[in-house]
Amino acid sequence: MLKLIGSRLLQMVFIMGVVSLILFAIFDSDKFKKQIAVAELGGFAVSALSDKDYQAWLDKKGLNTPFYVRYANWVGAVLHGDLGKSFEKNEPVSGLIAERLERTGVLAFWVFALMIPLSLTFGVVAGMKEGSAQDRVTSFISVFTTSLPEIATAIFLTVIFALTLKWLPANAAMVNGWDWRALVLPVLTLVLYDFGYVARMTRASMAEVMSSQYIRTAVLKGLPYRRVILRHALRNALIAPFTIIVLQLNWLLSGVVVVEVFFQYAGFGKLLLDAALFGDVYVIQAATLVAVFVAVLSQIISDVGYTFLNPRIRFA
Amino acid sequence: MTAANIAEVAPSLPLRLQMRRPRPILALILLMWIPLTAYVMFGSNMPETTRNVILLPAIPATLALYYIAVTSWRESPIAVIGATLVFFWLLVAVTAPYLPLIDPNKPIKPFAPIGAYANNHLFLLGADFKGRDMLSRDLWGCQRVLVWGVSATLVAYAIGAFFGLLAGYLGGWWDQAISLICNIFLSFPVMVLFILILNYLGPSGFNIVIAVTFASAPAIMRIVRGLTLDTKSRDYIFAAQTRGEHPLRVMIYELLPNARGPIIVDACLRLGYTTVAITTLTFLGLGLQPPDPDWGLMIKESTKVAMVVSFSYMLIIPALSVSSLILGFNLLADGLREMSLRD
Amino acid sequence: MSQKLPPVFQHPVIQNAFDHLEAGRLDRREFIRIAALLGASAASAYALVGLPSPAYAEGSLPFPPDDSKAKAGGVFKIAMQVQKLEDPATFSWTQSSNQVRHTLEYVSMTGPDNVTRPMLAESWSASPDLKTWTFNIRKGVMWHNGEELTADHVAWNLKRWADPATASSNIGLSIITGMLHDTGKKDDKGAPIMGLSDGAIEVADKYTLRLHMNKAVLSAPEDLYNYPTAILHPSFKAPISEKIIGTGPFTLAEFKVGDKCILKRVSKTTDGQDFKYWGGKVYLDEIAYYNFDSDNQLPAFASGDVDGVYDFNVEQVDLAKSLPGVIHKARTAQCICCRMQVDQKPFSDKRVRQAIAMTVDNSTIKGLIYTDGGDVGEDHHVAPVHPDYFALPAMKRDVEGAKKLLKEAGFEKGLEVTIDVGNTDGPWHQTACEAMRDQLKEAGVNLRVNVMPAAKYWEIWDKTAFGCTAWTHRPLGTMVMSLGYRTGVPWNESHYANPEFDKALDAAEATLDVEERKKKLAAAEKILQDDAVMVLPLFRPIYTIVAQKVNGYEGHPTQYHQFNKVWMA
Repeated sequence: MLKLIGSRLLQMVFIMGVVSLILFAIFDSDKFKKQIAVAELGGFAVSALSDKDYQAWLDKKGLNTPFYVRYANWVGAVLHGDLGKSFEKNEPVSGLIAERLERTGVLAFWVFALMIPLSLTFGVVAGMKEGSAQDRVTSFISVFTTSLPEIATAIFLTVIFALTLKWLPANAAMVNGWDWRALVLPVLTLVLYDFGYVARMTRASMAEVMSSQYIRTAVLKGLPYRRVILRHALRNALIAPFTIIVLQLNWLLSGVVVVEVFFQYAGFGKLLLDAALFGDVYVIQAATLVAVFVAVLSQIISDVGYTFLNPRIRFA
Repeated sequence: MTAANIAEVAPSLPLRLQMRRPRPILALILLMWIPLTAYVMFGSNMPETTRNVILLPAIPATLALYYIAVTSWRESPIAVIGATLVFFWLLVAVTAPYLPLIDPNKPIKPFAPIGAYANNHLFLLGADFKGRDMLSRDLWGCQRVLVWGVSATLVAYAIGAFFGLLAGYLGGWWDQAISLICNIFLSFPVMVLFILILNYLGPSGFNIVIAVTFASAPAIMRIVRGLTLDTKSRDYIFAAQTRGEHPLRVMIYELLPNARGPIIVDACLRLGYTTVAITTLTFLGLGLQPPDPDWGLMIKESTKVAMVVSFSYMLIIPALSVSSLILGFNLLADGLREMSLRD
Repeated sequence: MSQKLPPVFQHPVIQNAFDHLEAGRLDRREFIRIAALLGASAASAYALVGLPSPAYAEGSLPFPPDDSKAKAGGVFKIAMQVQKLEDPATFSWTQSSNQVRHTLEYVSMTGPDNVTRPMLAESWSASPDLKTWTFNIRKGVMWHNGEELTADHVAWNLKRWADPATASSNIGLSIITGMLHDTGKKDDKGAPIMGLSDGAIEVADKYTLRLHMNKAVLSAPEDLYNYPTAILHPSFKAPISEKIIGTGPFTLAEFKVGDKCILKRVSKTTDGQDFKYWGGKVYLDEIAYYNFDSDNQLPAFASGDVDGVYDFNVEQVDLAKSLPGVIHKARTAQCICCRMQVDQKPFSDKRVRQAIAMTVDNSTIKGLIYTDGGDVGEDHHVAPVHPDYFALPAMKRDVEGAKKLLKEAGFEKGLEVTIDVGNTDGPWHQTACEAMRDQLKEAGVNLRVNVMPAAKYWEIWDKTAFGCTAWTHRPLGTMVMSLGYRTGVPWNESHYANPEFDKALDAAEATLDVEERKKKLAAAEKILQDDAVMVLPLFRPIYTIVAQKVNGYEGHPTQYHQFNKVWMA
């Protein structure tokens, strides 16, 4: 088991190394350098600069150093906890990332806090009796909500709750300070999209357990139905959903981009998109590393958790 | 039953049965798909006359396919509903040039509300902020999503399946190398990968195909690899191998057809994801570019102008359209899975 | 003969302008503007011509008068892009200048009425030949570090702008070019290096600054309110956002690029004295800019997050009308200029450019995009709102003529061209180009509209052969032409080089007689129009909106924020 975790972590570090090198190489192009110069000095100043002055500016910014040297320096700095400085925002990347991650973390926390109980309840209830009315209704709801892309859900919720009923603010830019009400629509959007998927997985797992030999035996033995479900079925039925839920962390990092952009919520996803459009290489690097780290970590937790929880599986 | 009777009944029966065979269906799909793709991808470079007629053969092909789909899946109402939604949009896509629609890019009367009659034009679904007819834009809008979405999924499948077969069938060193590369891509949240790739390549339909391939092919490869490992040990493969057939031949003619069922279900789901991805990317400004109508683009443009109830139809209409198409794909996948479990 | 004017209007150019006014050849508003530029007080000029003066404070303050109903205190929240603040002399955007406009001040201040009044200068005067300008620096203006503003400080700023190493666009302003001479050296691009002439900037005493030009410059005071001309303390070091010493009533309290820029009142100087602002009462406690990109500003206003926006697009007018608030509309010289580089194929052939310009019908495009306000462009970049605008005969669309020209140029089988569009000012750029595309089709020109993100467009704006560039408002036609079309100037994106045009422009700039000046400029307009360097379909109006509780707000044609007398109900 430890060996497995170790090798996965090693793989992750390898992936991060390769990816960041590729990113450095990509953003080393003249096009991106010019883009940064234009953003920093303005189009006029850049076109007025003589080539010598432009090169001097690149030197000053450290952009003239070959990318592999910059890469090596950057790796060294990262190992000391220094992620570099944002070209666009003129501040250290580590602070920026931490602040944005915290905001996205709050969003993610509420998404999970709502989505997990909701989808598990729906899934278990549906899976208890395959083919029943409750099963069909649940299936329909989950296919339906999963079919609404986040952008569409965001629109529907905004039109209903913000524009028509005026219960909630239409955006979550929160310029007047932190506002929980503004968080409702982004959270709901993500929950609605994701809950259907987890509910279906739970349902499938529950249905499988319910049709298994030992549950049938328990029911035949005359144990109370409630007890069978709570004591025996649930424990096994929730193994698969557990791994799925952990993997949703990975999905969430994708989902937050569109939701944060639509609702103008200054979180990690918006930071990543802005940085990519700007060519802010150190921010992109850091954001990508964080994203890869979270994704791989969720994969490892999911695998390890599955092994722990499921006595039938043993890794060689 | 007499011989004469059989002869009478025969022509109608075999025709339908024949149609269900893979080859005619494939021909119909190509007949529908090639003109549509050509129209959307290269339409602006076509001579006027070609462009006017190129979609004509696709219309009967689409109708025939829909008929086949409904008759062969009638045991699953879910699949039929899904197919109906998908084919509705396919039909709109191939008939759009022949429908009595006004030019979707023509500004007529900005902010004309739903049902308004202005400047000699009836706005059934209102007009957008530039005064373009929403009904026309919404119907034309399905073309680009369908063509780019399906093309991207197809390319991703071709590449993913190829490597999956390779890894699963050859095993050993091949398997390890391919799996490692796939793991690298799977370590990214999908949107992060999209943003990085499209920001580097620049926004366009072709680049979306590339980005979707990078994002989806590794997962497809895993599925196909798993299926291959599963079927590899079967007798008929062993038989083919002992016959001395080329591995590539074994893979394509023996392995792939037998892994067909789960792949088709997965493909339907993936078409849904890709449609979401294209719409989302276009909304973020990384996907398809204006001015031609596209649902993601309609949403992107309208978020700036329609943030009051009276204009919200500009957002709701494209959002509903894209949702209905994705719902179609998902229901289809569901229905097909249900049927495959029953078999 | 001409009426003798009171002594405050003693300048011969004022007298001359007044004669034209009397003869009915000059607009009254234009007279006021000129009189104010030449040192007369705006109020007396308004009185002289019998126009009601907009309410302005007594004395020499450039602000509106105090409002007895005004409540002190409150925060004014505005949605605007919050940009990086490095060196105010190299600002490329009005937005960044607005972020520090209430901290760093200017020698002069042009009001919403397009009249320039003294700000950090108390008054100014010009010699009869307009070559020597004397600025009397206001006494008792306190820097945030407790020092007093002197003529030396202002001179330091002027010298800095004139230094090519600063890379300030101010170097193109007439007030600076008038003090430069050719050093005889060339830079690595082969352009001559210009240097500040000896003695051009003279500090006569602590409060008197005298500028000696080698040509007549009428616009000197106006030039000193161009957005990168904020007066800095000589201790300045970039970035300004780290340490800002100004003379204004506010200073940066909180600043984060792409997030927010919060300005708070200055109460103490950095050396511990009480700070006393020279400009009278200021009501607001705080001015807060929150970052929203231009499309999202109005939605932010709609949701009640902010009390005002920097601007909104024409597409959003209907949304704005449905919201509670006061919409301000101003006629401007802001435009898009679809310019063709005269040294790149196929535009190096004048016939091709002419054919394109002839085929496009500017008035149709204007009508399509701005049904409400705006002016039709005439392909020479001088706008009807410019005081020195001369109306040439209306342009006529001529498709047949264009086809003939194209045939002569060897494109009888049609011409394929691509225009780059960045929608830097909103999606209407693209609408305009698409309309052009439809019109050009009739002459056999196939125009491909290549849309790219705004940031990407600014990378290539001066490189692409055919591009749709947004130009902001500038108060004078001569100013725009000098910045954009004079041979070899940095912002000459079309690479246009025509000595004849340069001569006509110089002649216009040097002419004192207002009516003569217009005629001279007409010559320059005509040359530029005939050379078909650009298609300039329209000059756009600008829109902004503020909440009803915002009092004393006035829209400015250049979108400069002037909030000294704004108060919140």
